[in-house]
Amino acid sequence: MTDSLLSVRDLSVTFRLPEGEVTAVDRLGFDVAPGEVLGIVGESGSGKSQILFSLMGLLAPNGRASGQALFAGQDLLAMTDTELDRVRGVSMAMIFQDPMTSLNPYKRVGDQLAEGLVVHKGLSWRAARAEAVRMLDRVRIPDAASRARRYPHEFSGGMRQRVMIAMALLVNPRLLLADEPTTALDVTIQSQIIDILAELARDMGTSIVFVTHDLGVVARLCDRVIVLYGGRIMEEAPADILFNAPRHPYAKGLLDTTPRIAAPLTRRLDIIPGTPRSGGAMLPGCPFAPRCASRIAACEAVQPPLIGIGPAHRTACHLIGEAP
Amino acid sequence: MLLFLIRRLADGLLTMAALLTLTFFVMRLAPGGPFSSNRKISPTIRANVEAAYNLDQPLVAQYLRYVRGVLQFDFGPSFRYRDYTVADILLNGLPFSLTIGLWAALVATVTGVTLGILGALKRNSLLDYSTGTIAVIGIAIPIFVLAPLMQVYFAVMLRWFPVGGWNDGWRSLVLPVVALALPNIAYISRLTRNSMIETMRENYVRTARAKGIGRGRVIRDHALTGAILPVVAYLGPATAAIITGSIVIETIFALPGIGRHFVDAALNRDYPLVMGITILYGFVLITFNIGADILRGWLDPRVRHD
Ligand SMILES: Nc1ncnc2c1ncn2[C@@H]1O[C@H](COP(=O)(O)OP(=O)(O)OP(=O)(O)O)[C@@H](O)[C@H]1O
Ligand SMILES: [Mg+2]
Repeated sequence: MTDSLLSVRDLSVTFRLPEGEVTAVDRLGFDVAPGEVLGIVGESGSGKSQILFSLMGLLAPNGRASGQALFAGQDLLAMTDTELDRVRGVSMAMIFQDPMTSLNPYKRVGDQLAEGLVVHKGLSWRAARAEAVRMLDRVRIPDAASRARRYPHEFSGGMRQRVMIAMALLVNPRLLLADEPTTALDVTIQSQIIDILAELARDMGTSIVFVTHDLGVVARLCDRVIVLYGGRIMEEAPADILFNAPRHPYAKGLLDTTPRIAAPLTRRLDIIPGTPRSGGAMLPGCPFAPRCASRIAACEAVQPPLIGIGPAHRTACHLIGEAP
Repeated sequence: MLLFLIRRLADGLLTMAALLTLTFFVMRLAPGGPFSSNRKISPTIRANVEAAYNLDQPLVAQYLRYVRGVLQFDFGPSFRYRDYTVADILLNGLPFSLTIGLWAALVATVTGVTLGILGALKRNSLLDYSTGTIAVIGIAIPIFVLAPLMQVYFAVMLRWFPVGGWNDGWRSLVLPVVALALPNIAYISRLTRNSMIETMRENYVRTARAKGIGRGRVIRDHALTGAILPVVAYLGPATAAIITGSIVIETIFALPGIGRHFVDAALNRDYPLVMGITILYGFVLITFNIGADILRGWLDPRVRHD
């Protein structure tokens, strides 16, 4: 895929700990085309957030990313902080997972939004604040003009999440990294936000990487989906194919636990028996093997490669052969 | 914010009233009086003297008279220095104590915060390690050891500053101010460093970094407020303690402040002077606490809104 906006190859994220090194993301590769919405699903601890952080250069100090992540032709992982500052908040923005702690408690919400426009677009504070109010209005914050002068603790969780969304959309990025942006929202608002994001991708050509637990949202919004487990891709497929004919045992288990696409219900993924493997020492085999009902001897010994099994459809499982 | 201010002031007044009452009764109930010395005084003289100082009146009347006086900054005459009123003694000493104390607080805050932030941003650098070491020393060595050492080196050997006294303009200030500031520089720099490191790990600082506004802005506009809030909270009581705690320093450097009267007054059972000083110190403490609270409220909307 040469026309992709984001092209990730061999992305690994490791953390240094007193006990040794842990791998949170293991040699991952994926592409995102302009205007495409890529969903990333997986249980808690599977490495979803760390993928996004590594692209933004925001890993914790003990974390390190290796591999390559070409964004509009430039390798994000090779950039210095100063170089990254010309990309993040300009052509790439992120919506953070935890809206309760991700806003500065000491600054007015409107100013936190306006700041980026002042720095990057050279707008006056007055003009930037007016833009901020318009965007808050757009994400359905009631009474946005007076709300913008308030502080984060005066907002509910759902409203803060909408503020985070507004902050990311405000700069009109080419790539939007959204880390569970709709979890704290009630169903109506969530639905409105999904519409806004879908519209953005369709009309503005914004590419979105959408991390979520919520398969109903994935079904509505995403073109393509990556199923992540233990920092590895288990299956990657166009959304409709994944929902109708998942191949990997983990993906099947995941989808079994969710009602059909028709009813976008918020059901959690963590219903497969066993506990998710968290990034400890990397075992040689498939990370899902210990919990897999159909595992064979090879599963715990050899990591299955990610192979193509159809158009834009890949999976990593010893039980599934190459496409004819 | 207005409501917050009013509430803080009301709190302060209440504390002040409680302090006033408590000091009065504790002093009066303490055994012995100013004249219960070894020397025998004839009952008549004793009665006369007690009448002169209103000690013969009922306690409640004495208390009311005292409160009325305090409100007019009149603490009555000193028992010990008969020619002076307590107010005279306090007003004479206060400028010296305030000057040293405020300078020391300013020096300690500016130096401490600067060192702390630099240490946090350049963790494990040479600067960080040296500040850390100095901090440990500054906290561990008591002021009455440090101050004489400074006198010997900077005053006696190098002759840069006078050994003591108040006759040499700003030079007289340097050693006492530095001696008074040192332990606080040490403490404030540690406090600032730790809270800065913690703040840099906050999610909202990550959000700020994600905006690509540059490291300078992230630190100045986002991390700094959270980092100095604990310092501000510490600063109120600390400044008061620096001003009132200069007893040792005033003695070592022979400065005519209030501090050195305090111990004397207590030993001599000079009720009015002890109460005057206690109330003045209480007032200073409460004032700086309110000041720090207001500063905190100004920095942190959650403080002023609750
Ligand atoms: N600073 C760190 N040091 C060590 N390990 C870390 C660090 N940060 C994250 N990890 C580990 O990385 C792994 C992946 O975490 P990540 O935050 O990406 O999970 P996630 O898929 O986003 O989960 P959730 O759905 O709960 O947000 C986890 O096992 C976590 O313990
Ligand atoms: Mg996450």
